[in-house]
Amino acid sequence: MTGPEPTPPAAPARSVRAARAAGLARRSGRLTGRLTVLAAVLGLWQVLSVTGYLRADEFPSMTRTAAALGREFGQVGFWVDLWATVRAWAAGVAIGAGSAVLVGSLLGLNRFAHRSASPVIELFKTVPVVAILPLAILEFGPTLRMRYVLVAFGVFWPLTIQVIYGVRSVDPTVRDTAEALGVRALRRFAVVTLPSAAPFIATGLRVAAATGLILDIVAELIGGGDNGLGLGILTALNAGPAAYPTMYAFIVATGLLGVLLTGAFGLAERRVLHWHESQREHARGPGAVSGG
Amino acid sequence: MTVQPEGTVSVGRADPPGNSGTPDIPANPGTAEAAGAPVLSVRGLRKVYPLGGRTERVAVADVSFEVARGEFVCVVGPSGAGKTTLLRCMSGLLTPTAGQALVEGQPLRRVPAQVGVVFQDYGRSLYPWLTVNRNVALPLKVRGMDRADRAERIADVLASVGLHDVGRRYPWQLSGGMQQRVAIARTLAYRPALLFMDEPFASVDAQTRFDLEDLILRVRERFAVTVVFVTHDIDEAVYLADRVVVLSGSPSTVREVVPVPLPAARDQRGTRALPEFLALRRRLLELVTSR
Amino acid sequence: MGDPTPAAGPAVLAGGRHPATAVPAPSGPPGPSGRAGAGRAVLAGCRRVVAAAGWLWFAIALVAVWWFASADSTSAYFPPLRTIVHRLYELWIVGDAKSQLAPSLEHFAAGYGIAGAGGIALGALLWGVRPLRESTSPLLYFCYVLPAPALLPAVITLFGIDTTMKVAIISFAAVWPTLLNTVDGMRGVDPVKLDTARALGLSPLRTAGSVVLPAALPQIVAGLRNSLQVAIILMVVSEMTASTSGIGYFILTAQQSLAITDMWTGIIVLAVLGSALNLVFVAAERFVLAWHYGARAAEGKRS
Repeated sequence: MTGPEPTPPAAPARSVRAARAAGLARRSGRLTGRLTVLAAVLGLWQVLSVTGYLRADEFPSMTRTAAALGREFGQVGFWVDLWATVRAWAAGVAIGAGSAVLVGSLLGLNRFAHRSASPVIELFKTVPVVAILPLAILEFGPTLRMRYVLVAFGVFWPLTIQVIYGVRSVDPTVRDTAEALGVRALRRFAVVTLPSAAPFIATGLRVAAATGLILDIVAELIGGGDNGLGLGILTALNAGPAAYPTMYAFIVATGLLGVLLTGAFGLAERRVLHWHESQREHARGPGAVSGG
Repeated sequence: MTVQPEGTVSVGRADPPGNSGTPDIPANPGTAEAAGAPVLSVRGLRKVYPLGGRTERVAVADVSFEVARGEFVCVVGPSGAGKTTLLRCMSGLLTPTAGQALVEGQPLRRVPAQVGVVFQDYGRSLYPWLTVNRNVALPLKVRGMDRADRAERIADVLASVGLHDVGRRYPWQLSGGMQQRVAIARTLAYRPALLFMDEPFASVDAQTRFDLEDLILRVRERFAVTVVFVTHDIDEAVYLADRVVVLSGSPSTVREVVPVPLPAARDQRGTRALPEFLALRRRLLELVTSR
Repeated sequence: MGDPTPAAGPAVLAGGRHPATAVPAPSGPPGPSGRAGAGRAVLAGCRRVVAAAGWLWFAIALVAVWWFASADSTSAYFPPLRTIVHRLYELWIVGDAKSQLAPSLEHFAAGYGIAGAGGIALGALLWGVRPLRESTSPLLYFCYVLPAPALLPAVITLFGIDTTMKVAIISFAAVWPTLLNTVDGMRGVDPVKLDTARALGLSPLRTAGSVVLPAALPQIVAGLRNSLQVAIILMVVSEMTASTSGIGYFILTAQQSLAITDMWTGIIVLAVLGSALNLVFVAAERFVLAWHYGARAAEGKRS
């Protein structure tokens, strides 16, 4: 005996449609909310400047900063600065990450090697990287090389740890399967080990991207050099209050560069590793958990 | 079973109130005192999840049934039949899209104080940062019980689920079966009148499962608690229940309510070997697997 | 739900894959004590020494290599390690260079304290007030990825070069990792734990304090650990750019006056300081999150 097939009453259907409409409304509401907050913060900045609460010789108004930013976008010097920062960052991250993957993989494959080297790497990881900045300045002077050496040094230690951990975390079943299938040595490393370690490496890289930018800015501010966003900030600071809008424009530009670089790495991480469980959160659809 | 004018299906206690049970339910020693308003009544309950875009998923289409005081009712259905959703709606954890669940005649806005819920996943429902004692103490603290009474109650309720000397341990230091006992004890500690259990023994091994089934029957006796027990295991349902509510596949409706006229005193080997047990089992299997 | 919230950033970074936390010493179940005799303790002690030797030999070898390779060094920038150690003793043990540590640590403690407490409080607030969280998230993300040292010049124009400036820049830079991890950790609390709280009759406030906060704690602590790194960097950088005291000031002044050996002692002291702060943090973390590591170890054993 089976129960009668229920015909869906009208009321629930309407409420589902209502829920869907509510979802849409929420999304557009969120966008307006974000724009409103952004506008409110910028507006508050302007109001504080105009009313004199923020002194013009200390903190330029929002409109003057925005104008300075627009002006800088049209100047070659700004783009030269931006390019120098990106170059130092990219070279440093590439060198640091490349050596970290190499060293980390080698260490990760051997239990004795990684147990011996790990404490040293852990120690170096906790050493504030800026400590060696004066040394780098002595050795290389205020050059691009000084900057990317510092970036590479800072990126290397934490990423190596990530790589070792990733290589060591290969699922034993996967490893045994590869063994059983006769996949060995270099091929196994390329086909089994690296893909398994990829999520760890990707996470490490995203962090490295952010750390690298911070270190390059520090190197520019303290070590000096010819071009760079940090140097742009410093130059504007030294030019006195009249140039403060330019200083803030450079700071905003540095932040935007941070958004761009970190965002790119985050996006790549999500794209490449959509299969991995650390990305499960993003794949989880609504409905499954709805009480909370 | 009658079809009411609105088109909802009411099963079980469709007769006017005052009747101590539907005619097809034999007087069961465990439910002999059942009288008055039902502890739980589910009326035309429906739950629909919007899936974004134009799609939606009807988890529970239309479910109605009632549970009398002191009864042990099992809800079975094929996997994916929306059993958990139904339980969440009945216990007040989830608001139904249409219809309602009434506990002691009151519509639910939250989980009522006299209701307890035991979840399937003890590893997730116990709080790993609290010791066993503190886990059990939490609902008592909420209810304003003082320290001395609390300690007494905790020791008592842990003993009643067969746990001794584990109060200072953390849940994750215990085996799966013991963890589920802690979860049951935590719920029983505040003496709920109505206990919902969502496949509580699905994550333990077979032997532990038998032990826990007998435990819950003893506990039900001792605390005089009404139990609504969701499971996909037909044997378990027949073994435990006074009545079994069989759900159809998703989206679920009530296919039939089957009384279990087995003797109240049950034991794993004897009861499961009874011809009546086997007959009921076959019948339920047909109901669950039929389309 | 699927939008890239800023929390997605530190979330994975804080995923607890950090080996320092991945190989914790879980405080095991309280076993039957008393039976373990002194012999067993001695045996365990020996085993620990052997294990430590296995871990440390490489570090010791590295120091030895540095010692002997630099012994005859005439390079202006890389003096013999012997000279450095001697100077280290002169300056930092018997000398008064250690007075440089006090201002550094003061700035650090104040800045990190404000960042940690503020980050957790603001994070909890944003978790609780959804519209606020959703509308401010792009702004918070911007602050999080903005390289904080870029703000130093601006902070100097606002606060001068005194203590306020340093505390301000340290706390401003260090607040974001904690804040975003707090929001993310609280949002990621297992729904079953929240259902349980509702089933047990916990009020929303009690749920926040007794369930959400402890459940999110592992990730909050991960955020605090990231904040710690940021705070240390900014402590040093702020002293290097605008200061008349502190360990960063000491190192940079030594470098600029070409007192290379002094600079090396500063670098070593700073390295030890950074490691020590991290060690203290890890010790505190293991104490506070003992339940977390225990539960995780138990889970790993079962599966």
